[in-house]
Amino acid sequence: MSLSLLSSILIDGIAYAMILFMITVGLSMTMGLMRVVNLAHGAFAMLGGFFAATIPQRLGVPAWLGFLLAIALVGLVALLFERILLRRFYGRDDLDQMLVTIGLMFLATAAVNLMFGSTVTSVALPELFNGTVDLGFRSIPRHRLIVVGCGLVVVCVLWLTVDRSSFGIRVRAAVDNAPIARAIGIDTTKIYAATFVMGAALAALGGIAGAELLPMESTYASKYLVILLAVVAVGGNGNLFGSFFAALLLGIVETSMKYMVPQLASAAFFLTMIIVLLVRPQGLFGRHA
Amino acid sequence: MTIKFVAALAVSLATISFQSRADVIKVGVIAPMSGPFSVVGQTWEGATKAYQKLNGTTVGKHTIEVVYRDLPEINPAQAKALAQELIVKEGAQYIAGLYFTPDTLAVAALAQEAKVPVVIFNASTSSLLDKSDFLLRTSYTLPQMAVPVAKYALEKSVRNVVTLVSDFGPGLDAEKSFTTAFIGGGGKLLEAIRAPLKTTDFGPLMQRVKALKPDALYVFAPGGPSTYAMVKAYNEAGLRTAGVRFLGTAETDEDQLRAIGPELLGIETGMFYSATHNSALNNALIKAFGEVAPKAIPTVQLANAYDGLHVIYRMVQATDGQRDGVKALASAKGYAWESPRGPVKIDPTSREFVQNVYMRVVEKDPSGRFVNREFRTFEMQPDYGRTQNVSK
Amino acid sequence: MNTVTAPRAVPAPSRARPWMQLRGELVLLLVGLLAFVLFPHDLGLLTNMATMSIFALSLSLVLGQAGIATLGQAALYGSGAYVAGWTALYLTADPIAGLLLGGLGGGVIAVLSGAVMLRSTKLTLVMLTIAVAQLLLELANWARWLTGGDDGLAGFNIAPLFGIWEFSFLSYTGYFYALGALVLVYFLLRNVVESPFGLTAKAIRQDPGRVQALGGRVYLHLLAVYTVGGIVAGLAGALTAQTSKVANLFMLDFSTSAGVVVMIVLGGTRRLSGAVLGTVAYMTIHHIASTLNPYHWLFIIGSMLIVVLIVLPEGLIGLFDRAVAYARQPRRSGVAR
Repeated sequence: MSLSLLSSILIDGIAYAMILFMITVGLSMTMGLMRVVNLAHGAFAMLGGFFAATIPQRLGVPAWLGFLLAIALVGLVALLFERILLRRFYGRDDLDQMLVTIGLMFLATAAVNLMFGSTVTSVALPELFNGTVDLGFRSIPRHRLIVVGCGLVVVCVLWLTVDRSSFGIRVRAAVDNAPIARAIGIDTTKIYAATFVMGAALAALGGIAGAELLPMESTYASKYLVILLAVVAVGGNGNLFGSFFAALLLGIVETSMKYMVPQLASAAFFLTMIIVLLVRPQGLFGRHA
Repeated sequence: MTIKFVAALAVSLATISFQSRADVIKVGVIAPMSGPFSVVGQTWEGATKAYQKLNGTTVGKHTIEVVYRDLPEINPAQAKALAQELIVKEGAQYIAGLYFTPDTLAVAALAQEAKVPVVIFNASTSSLLDKSDFLLRTSYTLPQMAVPVAKYALEKSVRNVVTLVSDFGPGLDAEKSFTTAFIGGGGKLLEAIRAPLKTTDFGPLMQRVKALKPDALYVFAPGGPSTYAMVKAYNEAGLRTAGVRFLGTAETDEDQLRAIGPELLGIETGMFYSATHNSALNNALIKAFGEVAPKAIPTVQLANAYDGLHVIYRMVQATDGQRDGVKALASAKGYAWESPRGPVKIDPTSREFVQNVYMRVVEKDPSGRFVNREFRTFEMQPDYGRTQNVSK
Repeated sequence: MNTVTAPRAVPAPSRARPWMQLRGELVLLLVGLLAFVLFPHDLGLLTNMATMSIFALSLSLVLGQAGIATLGQAALYGSGAYVAGWTALYLTADPIAGLLLGGLGGGVIAVLSGAVMLRSTKLTLVMLTIAVAQLLLELANWARWLTGGDDGLAGFNIAPLFGIWEFSFLSYTGYFYALGALVLVYFLLRNVVESPFGLTAKAIRQDPGRVQALGGRVYLHLLAVYTVGGIVAGLAGALTAQTSKVANLFMLDFSTSAGVVVMIVLGGTRRLSGAVLGTVAYMTIHHIASTLNPYHWLFIIGSMLIVVLIVLPEGLIGLFDRAVAYARQPRRSGVAR
């Protein structure tokens, strides 16, 4: 394998992986923490992208601000969903929880279809992101480097939050053993809400950053759902680094196949997932059930 | 068998004729009105409305009523049920629409039995018309479009090419036809890349193309996210500046022009209809379309549905509103007319749709809109899927 | 529930009225006949309802009874469809042969994939079922020469049922064929569910560890249930292919699996009758909504799903149960429920 091909695979694979990571880390945390399989998670990424595509023009604000507003708006939607709807299902069957999130996914898809139609909507990135960087053997779109940077920043911030901050400690306690955590005074209700909102906001960020690779359209939420779930399953629930490495593994596997045997790229993705799950059913970094 | 069938049909028709007046003829259109392809359904609906606005709703003493049924995705069982409902319950004399091939296959079996003419507004597999004697098509096939593009490429001294298509029926048809014609004309195929249908990241594939250094890249991707991603990747990989021509087919349809815009500038495609085709009929149609369906987009589906309804009007006239599938089809075979896309004809033996194929390039018009400007016409192209023997 | 009362004895099935045992099947048959009389012009839709109900029943067994979390049931459904298509194309046009072989096809895929997947549980299992279905889809797409690829497998004819009844486009034969299969499958599955085999499956759903401790072989049992489910799903697929004369990739798709899960949830996951009720309700509402205003279907189904989950957790069949219980109440006044 030539150096050029290898570095191409790494660059494109890592960029794709970072996007997958940013979108799925919230899902992983939610599943580890609340044991809720949120199938509407892709919808958060989708809403983030659509809001980011329209807010800057509608409000006449610069792209940066528009993106932040979009992320905040998605966080708000997530909060409302969690408080009004999801909370009723915490005690219920896994299947019922999954299904109420499917219902949300349908609603989000219908809403986007209504507001934006069913064709692709492009997210206008700030000028800074456009253009390419010449590395000699190939040129990379500047946007991809920024995505990689973004992903690394997110992973660092999250790690510091989860590992160092008091909020993070409470989250980990709640993940480990919710009843005991409540017994020592940790308000798990607030933790759940905060984590859910954070996860949705991160998904929105991932959606916006990844809009070039995963274009925004009304069927986004259901289309990429399977891929998102795969990353979470392979990484293990509730584990930050699990999500990170799973995204890297799956992203690089799929990208290398795209370079070498494109027709088998999708099959390779799923095959990798199957192999990992058969060998380690709890995911790479998950805990034993 | 025949007695039973006729008796059953008679019973059904007897009950229907109680409900409908004899001089209203229903055309049942099976279209994706909801879901990811709802743009198509909307355009078809607008097209048939525009047609009736321009040409009236009557043929002789018969009023033509167009009814729509929603089929948002590939579901042959449902397609069959809808066609059945339209024929038996609504009393439709003609069935039209049909976006996907599997759905069309299910309806074809029904059409053959019921002897009901079916006008396909889109499904583009060549061999479809062989499935029933009562099928007609007013759209296109990929081989029909691909061969002229190959000829154009050879004209422009393109010596070697890489093909990049989505791995499904139309994509493979396009690849085969283009390659056969191109190699037949003395060109060289460097590589045929097939991308999985769900691919949204064409970066790696475009890098591969760049490494091969062809004179041109021939593509086919279904509309929507795939085309968007492909075009973006092409530009980002610097292929345009490296002098690799982008030759396509349906990638620059009106809805893509509006969604993607500037990235498509300079791309050349071979297709049968552009909204800016400069003819009196097309200009009148675009105007009427804008009035009856202001939110719908004038994609190639506009021409498809318009011509489809036109053929139906012809068949109604020929049968004087009577149910006679054989007579109706006979009147359509060999029928030639002026369509908004240019002159068209239905082949008298194969029933294939013969039309002009235009080479167009994406430009910006004076008002700032992105349009496909036709600059070269390949006249009355047949379905090369039959002549090349490449279809299934 | 806190007062100590003697557990209410479950009355033994009455020997005097054995036909009461078949009341589910009889209701199905009667409703089916009534539908034929009332809606003779909608037979296409009714036939699809019948085949979908069989598909839903397979999922009800696997997911509702045994608790096997699967979002990949479509793999078995689609396999049955393709096998039925190949049978008609290459072996024999006899519908019963195609039907049985289709069921066999579904069963074979189920036992092969289940053997690998069923050692896992919960989310891992769900993901594996999705992945297996996805791989099967990719394989079917790749093998265009065999499956017709995304165009679908078509061009096969189905011989008259039992040599007598032709399959015409008016669907008389098709409908009764599907309805007959539905009643038979319902009868068979109900017996499975009420048998010790079915009760063990229910026990496993509720507490696998306990069953294991009691000496049951959980894995093998689940595999057996999954295989039966696969056979039934295969039958449904075969029926669909035979009545519409096309088998295609979409039958293997994730959204087909997800759709049928929604149907059984609507009707009631825990009961077989819920599967049929949910399918009929879903497809009826879809049909009506589609005709009135197709653009907002997703809004309707999304809201309906959420409303049912909150207000009617046992599904529509729960509504029916409550009505029956309410009707019975006055005669049993004084007894705490």
